[in-house]
Amino acid sequence: MEHIRTTKVEQVKLLDRFSTSNKSLTGTLYLTATHLLFIDSHQKETWILHHHIALVEKLALTTSGCPLVIQCKNFRIVHFIVPRERDCHDIYNSLLQLSKQAKYEDLYAFSYNPKQNDSERLQGWQLIDLAEEYKRMGVPNSNWQLSDANREYKICETYPRELYVPRIASKPIIVGSSKFRSKGRFPVLSYYHQNKEAAICRCSQPLSGFSARCLEDEHLLQAISKANPVNRYMYVMDTRPKLNAMANRAAGKGYENEDNYSNIRFQFVGIENIHVMRSSLQKLLEVNGTKGLSVSDFYSGLESSGWLRHIKAVMDAAIFLAKAIMVENASVLVHCSDGWDRTSQVCSLGSLLLDSYYRTIKGFMVLIEKDWISFGHKFSERCGHLDGDPKEVSPVFTQFLECVWHLTEQFPQAFEFNEAFLLQIHEHIHSCQFGNFLGNCQKEREELKLKEKTYSLWPFLLDDQKKYLNPLYSSKSPKFAVLEPNTVSFNFKFWRNMYHQFDRTLHPRQSMFNIIMNMNEQNEQLENDIKDLESKIKQRKSKQTDGILTKELLHSVHPESPTLKTSLCFKEQTLLPVNHALRTIEGSNPADNRYSEYAEEYSKSEPGVVSLEYGVARMTC
Amino acid sequence: MPPGAGPFKGGFPAAPRGKSPAPRARGRGFPSAFRPPRPCHVMLPRQPARGGGRRAVARGGAAAGGGPWRGRSGAREASSLATAVAPGPRVSSMASAPTSKYNSHSLENESIKRTSRDGVNWDLSEAVPRLPGETRITDKEVIYICPFNGPIKGRVYITNYRLYLRSLETDSALILDVPLGVISRIEKMGGATSRGENSYGLDITCKDMRNLRFALKQEGHSRRDMFEILTRYAFPLAHSLPIFAFLNEEKFNVDGWTVYNPVEEYRRQGLPNHHWRITFINKCYELCDTYPALLVVPYRASDDDLRRVATFRSRNRIPFSGSDFPDHLACPWNVLSWIHPENKTVIVRCSQPLVGMSGKRNKDDEKYLDVIRETNRQISKLTIYDARPNVNAVANKATGGGYESDDAYHNAELFFLDIHNIHVMRESLKKVKDIVYPNVEESHWLSSLESTHWLEHIKLVLTGAIQVADRVSSGKSSVLVHCSDGWDRTAQLTSLAMLMLDSFYRSIEGFEILVQKEWISFGHKFASRIGHGDKNHADADRSPIFLQFIDCVWQMSKQFPTAFEFNERFLITILDHLYSCRFGTFLYNCESAREKQKVTERTVSLWSLINSNKDKFKNPFYTKEINRVLYPVASMRHLELWVNYYIRWNPRIKQQQPNPVEQRYVELLALRDEYIQRLEELQLASSAKLPDPSTSPAGPSQMMPHVRTHF
Repeated sequence: MEHIRTTKVEQVKLLDRFSTSNKSLTGTLYLTATHLLFIDSHQKETWILHHHIALVEKLALTTSGCPLVIQCKNFRIVHFIVPRERDCHDIYNSLLQLSKQAKYEDLYAFSYNPKQNDSERLQGWQLIDLAEEYKRMGVPNSNWQLSDANREYKICETYPRELYVPRIASKPIIVGSSKFRSKGRFPVLSYYHQNKEAAICRCSQPLSGFSARCLEDEHLLQAISKANPVNRYMYVMDTRPKLNAMANRAAGKGYENEDNYSNIRFQFVGIENIHVMRSSLQKLLEVNGTKGLSVSDFYSGLESSGWLRHIKAVMDAAIFLAKAIMVENASVLVHCSDGWDRTSQVCSLGSLLLDSYYRTIKGFMVLIEKDWISFGHKFSERCGHLDGDPKEVSPVFTQFLECVWHLTEQFPQAFEFNEAFLLQIHEHIHSCQFGNFLGNCQKEREELKLKEKTYSLWPFLLDDQKKYLNPLYSSKSPKFAVLEPNTVSFNFKFWRNMYHQFDRTLHPRQSMFNIIMNMNEQNEQLENDIKDLESKIKQRKSKQTDGILTKELLHSVHPESPTLKTSLCFKEQTLLPVNHALRTIEGSNPADNRYSEYAEEYSKSEPGVVSLEYGVARMTC
Repeated sequence: MPPGAGPFKGGFPAAPRGKSPAPRARGRGFPSAFRPPRPCHVMLPRQPARGGGRRAVARGGAAAGGGPWRGRSGAREASSLATAVAPGPRVSSMASAPTSKYNSHSLENESIKRTSRDGVNWDLSEAVPRLPGETRITDKEVIYICPFNGPIKGRVYITNYRLYLRSLETDSALILDVPLGVISRIEKMGGATSRGENSYGLDITCKDMRNLRFALKQEGHSRRDMFEILTRYAFPLAHSLPIFAFLNEEKFNVDGWTVYNPVEEYRRQGLPNHHWRITFINKCYELCDTYPALLVVPYRASDDDLRRVATFRSRNRIPFSGSDFPDHLACPWNVLSWIHPENKTVIVRCSQPLVGMSGKRNKDDEKYLDVIRETNRQISKLTIYDARPNVNAVANKATGGGYESDDAYHNAELFFLDIHNIHVMRESLKKVKDIVYPNVEESHWLSSLESTHWLEHIKLVLTGAIQVADRVSSGKSSVLVHCSDGWDRTAQLTSLAMLMLDSFYRSIEGFEILVQKEWISFGHKFASRIGHGDKNHADADRSPIFLQFIDCVWQMSKQFPTAFEFNERFLITILDHLYSCRFGTFLYNCESAREKQKVTERTVSLWSLINSNKDKFKNPFYTKEINRVLYPVASMRHLELWVNYYIRWNPRIKQQQPNPVEQRYVELLALRDEYIQRLEELQLASSAKLPDPSTSPAGPSQMMPHVRTHF
């Protein structure tokens, strides 16, 4: 690789970010084509994928060396001290180059090889089939049909080829409407509620300006509300704050005029734009990155960042949506400005509240494929996969994941997956290791030939399903058919396991979740033991009826008792050290060793951690 | 009183029950544009209020199966206290109540058991739940101004123990059950001429984070008798009436007073030993009336030494010249609280030294501290934790107190823990109440929470305790803890540190012993801090110190879900009865006063209630372990407001009962038991068929006890 000048630096120090005593580990830093690797004197490895690097900083030279701070998109922050300035400079420059690629073809996904053959790769890509998903929802049906209008991406480049629209909406209407919508993103079906016969539709803002109107667009909205046999009116949700929508009118865009559209109820819900969200997260991270955070700094910082307020706004919008469908049987049309950020958040969260299928592991993948990937959430720009406009980067998808996490906290039994699953997905939207999240829309992905050149993430997650299962999940419980979250202020908490996932010292020593997981495993083992024994007994019975009680049989049973005993003893041991075992989930990323680090850390260094903690406390008292 | 002639002979209107409350279509936090056109129970499947096994009932929206409380959000208001109270025997029939034949209610016990298992209710014939010894005083029709659901017409019954309100409206099943001990202040609101609906009545401030408002008819001073009766029975001390605990005739099959026996507890810790002895110098509470009779002191300190030292520590029995101290006596010596079983370092507690402005010294005290240090040879310095902020300690010199100076105590190092005094804590909790009751602050929740500083105080207390525990468990040194008087912050620190160090205290009985020892016997002034039966609601001595301690314990239990045998309900029950005056456990300021009043003979212990029904208070995740030191993380990222306690009256906090995580675990445990049993049977079966002596008996019988030990 032309960017790498130094591949190995020894005697590098890794500082503990939250230690007040400037504790550090000394080890060797390696630079590879894809990863930065640090191996400390205990042979513990820290891998950092280049694509995860959001920011590299070289600080002023100190007596012990040259400090290098690396901030990652998965919220890891590492602080190295490189003894020689020249090495530091080399690494700094290399990382700058490596972390910001100019072409898609240079991303990790195009070189990543998980040792699968082509048919396996293809199978992986076929795992999620959206046509199948629409069928599951019950479309096409007498009111909704598949439109071929966008088959060649002629009407809208950022939409998928296959779109579902009301049966009575003719092609001219669709074409006309698309011309009246920003980026041609006309109203299409996102989710169809079979029981209520109501639909969630999505689009971008109308080009209404101060007075413009479009009959085709009005017809299309009429067609959507007519496609719902129960309710005459439909809701149009503009997810922006009213002020922003008004401002857009000056640019020839804007929002629907209730007078022009018959039977619509128009509603603003006030979710802020991507720039507000970006700086809000920035503030949140600044507050929480502070060493020895005092109580007041924490709370006032958390509040002034506004992050939790934004989360609540997204959640409230989704609740509004779900309620419109459940309580009023009304169809809802959701849009924001371009219909790929806030609209994706609200549509997907709304569907998640309404349909328990999306709360399964497979269903959640489908939901992301449908509302985010296929409808053109600009993953590559929002995640900054390539060296591009930093103003386009925004944690919109992270926010969606956090909303889901808040739901899992409120409804611990309603989700098949656990927190680790969300964290893993978050890891991979930035990792560029799999093809799913590359590019900004389906058209671009096809041009990149991602399905031929890269792998899909989903089969890898499914293979590891066991790690992502929520032990509390009760799939059949009818009380979780539709979720009604409570958005009272104290229900919104800082998501420590996301924003501090690599700061081990900040995590609790014991997790309830783990205890239950262990218990589950033990029971499974017991179950197997029982089956074993039963089959052996059955076997023997049949043999006995044959009258053959031979020495051979004795042999076959004898060794069994001891194994059984040991397996039970083993289980007991697994129950006891719950305090040591932290999360034992590992990424499908071979380099992702962060979870295995935990167990080690915790088993030995508790007192160290403690003195650190009260050190922090004393600092701030 | 002749049988049946009481003022409350039968005939109370039976409350409407068994009726399904009309589904209320409330906009539960949804944007206001909605007018739900139909009952939304399909859209909003409620978490069943309690009793997960009855989902079908709760879902149907009807409360038919479980009494009027089930599935009603408004009813949550009273359920917490009521369920906490539930296990006690209740008199089930009104007619038999006045005859006071409480010892012969075996028949009634049947119905009690049946109803209390159900969680909340009692027989239909009964209007008000009553404890043996509880007598009805009056009842009256009032309007309860519920802060969550608006005014509700109801009938209030007042006994010498509780205020009980039952709704008279058909669509509301609200019940309030408030022990009078909880009341801190009763005010009249409005006057005879004040206008507006429901503007005339009573406003009752409670010690447990809520207020109750009742509106009455304006004609004929209708509130006067209710006000007078409430005042009389809520504040019996001001009317020379006995506190209810002395009237309570409850019987339990366990005697909670026997839980704590100091000699046994010290023996458990391996005391006395070569370095520490038990002394009865304070047998008659002559030397210090706020200390217990039995104390553990260094072997090398003679009783005479102790007498001399006593003069130098705060509030000793020799009046301090020119002091404005009340004539209470406090904690003069460093006495042992806990000794580490292996490294033999100790936690000792006392009050501040009387250094004063002039920097007085006392050779005996200095020597005494050195003696303590020398009980462990490896230690070069004794660590003194002064719980106060440095400034406060200095300021205390002006009133004759102070702290140990470096010059005087060569072999000691002093640290301040910066924990604020009782007044700061009281004001902090008041602010917490302001932001959670009746309405939870919405728009600026985080900064409001911060401005109460409550969690900051919790953090400081925990941090202090962690430091104490760390010193001792690492064997670095023995620790001396004091604050000003040694009965507030000191009790918090020593007891929390002991909880971290000694797994015994994390069991139900262990925790009871810990409270009994570090708090009750060492003279935390419960009577003054809580104000049992006292009407001076503004008394500067009141402070939520014990609540703060329980909060810290809760924070620890959140961080170590398997470490504690007890659950959250146990802690809430303790707090409920801290105020209720139903038990004698928390009455009076110190052991000597309790002895004088013969509390153990004349009242029932709270631990009787708890220990006779332990299952309710058990944490299913508990895994017994020995010798594990808990170090909670006292970081802001981990401390949270105890919503289930501080905001429990708000119907918007949906407590999922039972907790799904717990429930799942219990299910798994049961499954495991079943499997193990199956295995056992199968193994027996398999070995029985196999007449080989070497394997068959060994299998299950050896293995099983081994496996079972962890349940």
